[in-house]
Amino acid sequence: MATNTLNRVAVVASAQTLLRDAWTELQHVDLIASAVDSALRGSGLRMQDVDVIIDCGSDVLDGRSISNCGFLGAMGAHHKEESRVEEDGLFGAIYGTTKIASGSASVALIIAYSKPSESDVSAYYSTLTEPFYQRALGLDHLSAAGLMASQYLTMTDADEAALLHIAAESWRKVACNRWVELPEIPTSADIQASPRVADPLHRLQIARPVDGAVAVILATEQVAWRLTDRPVWVTGMGAAMDSHFLADRLPGELEAARAAGKMATKRAGITDITSIDLAEISASSAATEAMVVEALGFAAVGHAVDCYSENAAVSINPSGGALPADPIMATGLVRLHEASARLAGRLGDESATRAIVHGAGGLGMQNHCVFTLEV
Amino acid sequence: MTVRNVAIVGTGQTHHARRRKDVTQVGLAREAVTRALVDAGLTMDDIDSVVVCSGPVLFAAVNQPEKWLVDAIGARLKPVVRVTSGGGTGLAGALAAVNQIRGGFAERVLVVAYDKLSEGALQYSISTLYDPFWGREFAVGIMGFAAAYWRARMDNLGHTEEAAAMVSVKNHKNALLNPYAHVKKEISVEDVLNSRPLCWPIKLLDVPPISDGACAVVLASEDAAKSSPDPAWIRGMAYYSEAENVANRSMVQSEPLMIAAQRVYQQAGITNPRRQCDVVEVQEPYTCFELSYYEGLGLCPPGGAAQLIASGATQMDGDIPVNPSGGCMGANPIGATALIRLAEIAQQVRGRAGAHQIPDARVGLMQAGGGWANLRGVAVVSNTKG
Repeated sequence: MATNTLNRVAVVASAQTLLRDAWTELQHVDLIASAVDSALRGSGLRMQDVDVIIDCGSDVLDGRSISNCGFLGAMGAHHKEESRVEEDGLFGAIYGTTKIASGSASVALIIAYSKPSESDVSAYYSTLTEPFYQRALGLDHLSAAGLMASQYLTMTDADEAALLHIAAESWRKVACNRWVELPEIPTSADIQASPRVADPLHRLQIARPVDGAVAVILATEQVAWRLTDRPVWVTGMGAAMDSHFLADRLPGELEAARAAGKMATKRAGITDITSIDLAEISASSAATEAMVVEALGFAAVGHAVDCYSENAAVSINPSGGALPADPIMATGLVRLHEASARLAGRLGDESATRAIVHGAGGLGMQNHCVFTLEV
Repeated sequence: MTVRNVAIVGTGQTHHARRRKDVTQVGLAREAVTRALVDAGLTMDDIDSVVVCSGPVLFAAVNQPEKWLVDAIGARLKPVVRVTSGGGTGLAGALAAVNQIRGGFAERVLVVAYDKLSEGALQYSISTLYDPFWGREFAVGIMGFAAAYWRARMDNLGHTEEAAAMVSVKNHKNALLNPYAHVKKEISVEDVLNSRPLCWPIKLLDVPPISDGACAVVLASEDAAKSSPDPAWIRGMAYYSEAENVANRSMVQSEPLMIAAQRVYQQAGITNPRRQCDVVEVQEPYTCFELSYYEGLGLCPPGGAAQLIASGATQMDGDIPVNPSGGCMGANPIGATALIRLAEIAQQVRGRAGAHQIPDARVGLMQAGGGWANLRGVAVVSNTKG
């Protein structure tokens, strides 16, 4: 008889490097080792305590086949169980969580990183498309973001002012994020004045690729209580992938984000979305951020902007989110790090008790992953 | 706490080929998926989650190909993720699927692994494995590296060219019985020894073909496996790594393989693999590796591999048959080969292996690996839960 008793899993430590335009003086291994070392330091755990390592990076961005092979030493994976999930780091956290929940491991280290500054981001995205129909069009992340934003504005009540407000809020909040190296914080007028790179989107409404690495340590309940009196529990997880072809997806909405969110909240037993205090969301643009907020159920379709007002029940992206800093492949795991640090009270405030975390991958955010957390 | 039981309830493979011009990559993968679902008596509606495995994306020049595959296999709005680990990716993906089930994320997971190597520049892609600053200037593909390994083992362990040639002869012969293999020719030890040297001691007939092919496996929880008449239970599965730049890395015995084997035997309650396993499938990128795996898996003592192959014990009718499917010599779609090995031992213990069935096989052992021989995995399946 199969036992249904699963271990509870907690986020017990996490750290990230500074996210910046270009880490020219450091290699991938340096960024990875720095994040891993920072996560372990002060956690009460040593590398010997880690049972399994799951890492998320991209061979294409790294310019290297099976690139995890070259980084195993920096990850601390020597003679350990290790696997590469070639997707946003939050999907790697699903792997680590199931491994611990199953009773097969006590401590899992999840790592995600990228150095898009050394790569061609547009080529990274355009090579995601199948070679027969979509690639010939020259689709990339910018054109996909523009098309999706146009659909959003056409199909819903949202307007360009809403997208401006969402982007301005992201930049306003990230100003307080010490882990992101920033240019001068743009005002709403600056955003509007930035070049319109993918109609209707301005450059400052589109996720800014940055270099960086993040490490998150997951552990069993037994281990967690020995390390902290405020463990951050993983209460639910969900994932869903949408159709590959942009034209096949529901215009103006993110069905896969909705499916992933439902899967996670159902597992967590969350029936009232307003019980969530904060949401950390990954998005390719201000429009897709709005679409994620709506897909997760925080607002009706076309009305995400209401969640960015002072009296909104949920705090969306208190870290600033992915628009000001998008370390491709690591963005979702950075969100998990941010949300769990906040819930654990490591940012000096213990008022938040429930969070939802979202990560995405693919052209036009084809793949979605959602975690629910609770202290 | 007890770890949940997981079983393989269906497998499917394509008819592998040097070049499949009639299908796209995703069409190829779909063939294997359809067969696995038919074998399991299930449809995509029964599948909760999909794990995709393929070789490095440079092999076929589509970045994150699972994003394209999702529509071809009808997995839209399901969890789909790709696990990569070089040549061992199929096993690494199966392990991810096992964990999804054990961890309560899914009841039935479809693992699909494939490569369409006819569409890319294989050795060029492999060369990009090496460090851009320290490794790439002298590293060309994987063959020189493998030859150096073999050379070291020749001196230390007596893995002679003749012993490796016997592996090639055995696997080629076994592949004649495998309907999915595409290299079908009977060869002799002399043929192998006289074949063209590519990177001595590796010669042409020590090397498997380059193939297009796919494999799919359906894994299920104990509850979900109840509807299956002949589940193959996962008794142990592990996948270990070795950091590439550890100065004292052994060129002689594979440490991650020995760690993985030890772990899996512990899980499966195996103390003497030679006696307790009925059939073995290993992923041999070159003949010399099969010899090395005999020792790493504990089928013989260190230095005993040449004797083991010469004794005939690993032949189809021996006491520990290795690669009755023909192994990689019959077909080698790299991203799929590890999952093919797992599927083959599952079919063996389910009694569904066809012409290359080992009579009364109950416990199957498999090995796979990737990277620069530094990622190594092992699994044991059986027709009983244990």
